[in-house]
Amino acid sequence: MDTISRRKFLQLTGAATVGAGAAMLSIGDIAEAAITRPLPMGTPIVVLVTLYGGNDGLNTVVPYTDSLYYSLRPGISYKPESVLQLSDGLGLNPAMTGIKSLWDQKKVAIIRGVGYPYPDHSHFSSMAIWQTGSPISHVSSGWLGRWLDTQSRDPMLAISLGSVPPPLFAGVKNVGSALPLGGLVIPNGKLGMRCQTLGKPATNDSRLMAAAAQSISNLFSVSDNVTDVLKGPAPVATDLPVINGGNAGGDSNLQQQLDLVAKLIVAGAPTRAWSVSLGGFDTHANEADAQSALLGSVSQSITRFLSSLKSSGRASDVTVVVYSEFGRRVKANASDGTDHGTSGPVFVIGDRINGGMYGDQPSLSKLVDGDLAVTTDFRDIYASVLQNDLKADPAQILNGWKGRVNLLYKQ
Amino acid sequence: MESQRLEISRLFARFNFGPTPGQFSQALQEGFKSTAAKILNTSEPDPRLGALPTPALVDTGPRPSPADKTASKLFSQNLKAQSDELTMWWLDRMAIAKNPLIERMVWFWHGHWATSLDKVNFSLPMFKQNETLRRNALGNFRTMSHEMFHDGALQIWLDGNDNIKGAPNENLSREFMELFTLGVNMYSEDDVKAIARAFTGYQTVRTSGVVTFNPKRHDSEPIKVFGVNSPLDGDSATDLILSKSECADFISDRLWYRFISSSLPKDVKIGAAQAFSQREVAPVISALVLNGALSDPRYSVVRQPVEWFIAVCRAFSLQPSMLSNRNFILGALQKMAQLPFYPPNVGGWPTDEAWLSSASAQFRISFATGLSKQIDFTALAAIAPEQRITYIKDLLGILDFSPRTFTALTNAKTDLPQFFTLAVCSPEFVVNA
Repeated sequence: MDTISRRKFLQLTGAATVGAGAAMLSIGDIAEAAITRPLPMGTPIVVLVTLYGGNDGLNTVVPYTDSLYYSLRPGISYKPESVLQLSDGLGLNPAMTGIKSLWDQKKVAIIRGVGYPYPDHSHFSSMAIWQTGSPISHVSSGWLGRWLDTQSRDPMLAISLGSVPPPLFAGVKNVGSALPLGGLVIPNGKLGMRCQTLGKPATNDSRLMAAAAQSISNLFSVSDNVTDVLKGPAPVATDLPVINGGNAGGDSNLQQQLDLVAKLIVAGAPTRAWSVSLGGFDTHANEADAQSALLGSVSQSITRFLSSLKSSGRASDVTVVVYSEFGRRVKANASDGTDHGTSGPVFVIGDRINGGMYGDQPSLSKLVDGDLAVTTDFRDIYASVLQNDLKADPAQILNGWKGRVNLLYKQ
Repeated sequence: MESQRLEISRLFARFNFGPTPGQFSQALQEGFKSTAAKILNTSEPDPRLGALPTPALVDTGPRPSPADKTASKLFSQNLKAQSDELTMWWLDRMAIAKNPLIERMVWFWHGHWATSLDKVNFSLPMFKQNETLRRNALGNFRTMSHEMFHDGALQIWLDGNDNIKGAPNENLSREFMELFTLGVNMYSEDDVKAIARAFTGYQTVRTSGVVTFNPKRHDSEPIKVFGVNSPLDGDSATDLILSKSECADFISDRLWYRFISSSLPKDVKIGAAQAFSQREVAPVISALVLNGALSDPRYSVVRQPVEWFIAVCRAFSLQPSMLSNRNFILGALQKMAQLPFYPPNVGGWPTDEAWLSSASAQFRISFATGLSKQIDFTALAAIAPEQRITYIKDLLGILDFSPRTFTALTNAKTDLPQFFTLAVCSPEFVVNA
């Protein structure tokens, strides 16, 4: 937003007539934030990609030189000549050509065997552990929510795409904002002003009523920042082939989410953490085609996303982290699918990442009750992200956790 | 007085979706006990529900070949029309029932045995499941669990067709114990594998939801699980699971979580688990209503989008299928991320803060604005402007408005559509105190 549109923006929203409640940003403050408080160039940005359902890690990063891989899952294994070969006898799922080219540019770290202690095969317990970052004791705050708690309250700081915010952004004091794909449209005129009154805090508010009021006030502050941006076209990925007027990459829901994130990053949104997601990975039956389509979408969407940031000068600020709540059982079931398993690979992608393999590949000859062993604790990755991208003290947010993925980030 | 108003507000919001015009004031006069007794009595006939036509769903037969583009298109349109009809029918039932406790329970069970049309595809099996949940809504949970095991939609949803002797698929076994009957970690991984073997051999016709048992695909070897070592099938395994004491804790926890508080643990003094000792649902609901939980000020909950919409319908005498138009209603619910028959996953919908994002605030305001154009405000207009805030507070069954909401409503007291929109989007209505 330039200064002209800022003036227009102030007129349109009737900024002069809107009073500000104690914990509510005034329209004037918000306009200031969007224009005079854009995220400084060079500030790291984290984009979390959550794959819901439990992605099959063994068919994502395939141990194609291990004969046990072929004997344990004959119906759904990938042949050596079909995988996209990386190193250490591992290759990517054939659908992940985009990630492969990023790997060749040394921008992709694959952390192997990631999980948490005492693996739980429940989607919900497992995802709760990943999102809260607390595998042993139950806490209700999300790991990035606790980071938000260390920051001054700013509804632009952490944004998730879709209308239901993920638990990972829920702090004790602060909470991330949710942005639906269609963008936010605020009511205008008198209704808009009166709705803003509904968003003010009240002294007797219970916790939930305060949250309800804040959701209304956040609607106004977030929408003011993003509405103009959303109307514009997505930034163009100039170095990808163009097919039928669009970038090659399909138009999956993940693609739409990342297009929107790209627009907002390019516009200078003061947002440090983004959350996007893709579901459908619970492949109990006929896994190969379904997973391959999903991984293709993940790969193409992320590739296009990073490419589209290049012209903005912010491409090198962004780190993308891709994870799922668990991997799947090593042995296939009779439906050419796999049941719930344990550890899986996590991808960390970006210019500031030292590309390569991290952690030990779980051995197929030393399974734990038919499942892969956990060789890397997921908190090592969170701690590295908190320290390098968010400049936070991981111990404070992760209950004293000391582990890191060594040398993951370029220094 | 204040305490009684809180109890009655919660009684209507949580067990009846919300009061109809005049009902809340009447309850304040008659008192909590008498109102609770009326709501807990579901034996009264309901002529309006009886007059509502049942959705005319027929077995569509299998999908035509994709090569036949015209037939495929018609087929998809038919599927969509069927699911829309089914959804509108259920919303109507919630909105017009004289005492919607049964529908409220069906809504609870739908989120409990959360099955989605997204995978099931065909409305007929979903309709049958909905009727099964209704038949057992306040009945015996053991009976419900047996019927749900044999439910076609649930079998399709959790890959029952793929669960075969010699190579079991664990999906149904795991979720049956984790989410439907016992709770997470109340069984071992070996138990999941064992129960999956007991569940082998059931086959479902996708389009009709008819489930049959195929002995050739069933593992009839002895299965060692929960203290037995004998051949098991779906029914005997269900009996074994339901007899575990963890079932009483789990189901009473789930009812507490949805009806009383999603953030604070079950208060054992309420006696919900003991009330479930015979696996009867009605005594648990009575315990939740009558044993003091509703008067404890800590237990507020956020109305889920469907609950919010139905409460508005009941207060303003709206029947969803009579509104203009079906796409507006279903589209608005979808934007608010809660379309009946499409739960996000087998764990059902989230609670509380998940419905308080800036996005849901926007969609709620825009849905309310759309509804305000279709509401007959004659009754509200007949009230003197300075009395309107008190009037709508009782109409909606709200405990009290905060000063901020009072200010907003005062400013809009002569603009009735806006007055309505602000009242139903206020934190005091979105959150049931």
